[in-house]
Amino acid sequence: MALLYGLLWRLLLFLLHSIRALVSCLRVRLRNWKGRLWERAMATLLLPMSMAGFPDHRGKLNLDARRTAGNGNCLPNRRHRWLTDGRSLEKLPSHIGLLVVEEEPSYTDIANLVVWCMAVGISYVSIYDNHGIFRKNNSRLLEVILIQQQHLLGTEGSKYNVEFLSDCADKPHNNVLSCRPTVKVLSPEDGKQSIVEAAQQLCRSVENKERSSKDITVSMLDTLLRESNNIPDPELVVKFGLVDSTLGFLPWHIRLTEFISLPSHRNISYEDFWGALQRYCACQQRLGQ
Amino acid sequence: MSWIKEGELNLLEKISASILKAGPMPKHVAFIMDGNRRFARRKNMERQEGHMQGFDKLAETLRWCKHLNIQEVTVYAFSIENFKRTKDEVEGLMELAKQKFERLLEERENLEKHGVCIRVLGDLNLLPLDLQRLIAKAVLATRAHNKCFLNVCFAYTSRYEMTNAVREMAWGVEQGLIQASDVSEALLSQCLYSNNSPNPDLLIRTSGEVRLSDFLLWQTSHTCLVFQSVLWPEYSFWNLCEAILQYQVNHKSIQNARDVHREHQKLLQLEADRTCALSAEHLQRHGNGKPADAGRRQEALSHYVARRQERVRHFLEALTTKRDSFFTDLCDGGLA
Repeated sequence: MALLYGLLWRLLLFLLHSIRALVSCLRVRLRNWKGRLWERAMATLLLPMSMAGFPDHRGKLNLDARRTAGNGNCLPNRRHRWLTDGRSLEKLPSHIGLLVVEEEPSYTDIANLVVWCMAVGISYVSIYDNHGIFRKNNSRLLEVILIQQQHLLGTEGSKYNVEFLSDCADKPHNNVLSCRPTVKVLSPEDGKQSIVEAAQQLCRSVENKERSSKDITVSMLDTLLRESNNIPDPELVVKFGLVDSTLGFLPWHIRLTEFISLPSHRNISYEDFWGALQRYCACQQRLGQ
Repeated sequence: MSWIKEGELNLLEKISASILKAGPMPKHVAFIMDGNRRFARRKNMERQEGHMQGFDKLAETLRWCKHLNIQEVTVYAFSIENFKRTKDEVEGLMELAKQKFERLLEERENLEKHGVCIRVLGDLNLLPLDLQRLIAKAVLATRAHNKCFLNVCFAYTSRYEMTNAVREMAWGVEQGLIQASDVSEALLSQCLYSNNSPNPDLLIRTSGEVRLSDFLLWQTSHTCLVFQSVLWPEYSFWNLCEAILQYQVNHKSIQNARDVHREHQKLLQLEADRTCALSAEHLQRHGNGKPADAGRRQEALSHYVARRQERVRHFLEALTTKRDSFFTDLCDGGLA
């Protein structure tokens, strides 16, 4: 009997895994299909004459325009659209966490996400993966972000200056003087370990008779953990990957954070990201009441 | 309604439970039992009736958990933030808690038969004194039981719990039991209200909300989080099975992440010990001026580690005594 149950369980789990794989595969397919449909519609509407002679290039050209957005008129349009998108939402997080629980992170896709966050008007972006890969390759990530910023927003986009916060081995990159959109790359050390460090600091002050143990309050710890930057707690964490766990993402700061899952950050489209923001917008908080 | 619901699973449920049990099962499940009020509103009931049905569902869920070999359950019963609700509702909830803990004391024998240990996590000082006493009595009456554990988070928030742990460690420093450098992730975990429990393997939140609302933030950093849209009073055996299945799908990757984290933690502890041992040795060296060789250094390190562990052990013993006496004092106060 036990053997039979074991077999049945294996079968069930196999089915579940296949369904998950199928769903994420379909998602990509569906989007590509929709994208192609859109391209075709645009092509038939706007460029019937010029493109008629070069049917082979049509798809590629449009794809290029969609993907890298290197040229011309669509840039300001798109930037404008993203900005109005951001304004059209009833509430927008001021701090968003991008939590990657997948192997092999893709820098370009994360960079795209960061640029979209900036474009819709989110002030703080935290990027986290539980192996600390982004943290180790901090400077590469910044490079890719700057490139994607150019690509997606064009030269004018440089008014969205990135401030890169990090206290790791790499020297901090304070790119230009803007203080608006701030990107922070986090690793597991910023989680429990930072709480431990704050605790040590408080205990040391007790050791030196600077304060009594009874004086320690929640807001005191909170101030220590906010550091000097006074960044608000993330209101939204978008989790990429099929693992249903935070895997050590800032335990202190996620008290009221809404978690929204997307199957993968690889090849993510603006529409997926926009969908997550809309879902966040629908969340209501009662704050204990 | 009582804390323990007797009764077997029906045939279909039994078969499904056996299939699930062929895979890795969570040992500790945490619940955010959300949706009682929405349920009451939808059914045109009194709010209090919704809360009552929520409690009944808890008893039923505990029965399912027992049949699924889940030994430990933690529930979020009342948050410190909930004191902000209307006076009426808070009083109603306190009254409900009083009734339930009285009932629990009446059912003592039954709880003993099933070996149920009940713990209450939170700052009891925030509660009315008579409820404090009842809780202390219930906790003391069941503390020796060890077959299954129910942790009720009452007057609880996770940030408060972490702050309290820091306060306890600072107290240890004040008492000269530990040094500030002894503070570590492991020690902080030991000072939480949940120090007697392993971290939950699975956290379930009902009613479709997708946040943790200040519940077990520290303990769930490597826990499978499952958000279900059903309202808590409508929670069914099949909802629980679905959540467990989701845990099983996630099991391997979360386990790996846990292992990585544990290794990293060990490394950090070793580094901290080395720094402390070196600085202690450095002080000594000032006496005779000779630099130490590798062997001496290793010796100094193991000597330091042994002393640190001894300090921590003493401190944790003192902390346990302090916490125990809080409960016994409350009980004695109630008798006097």
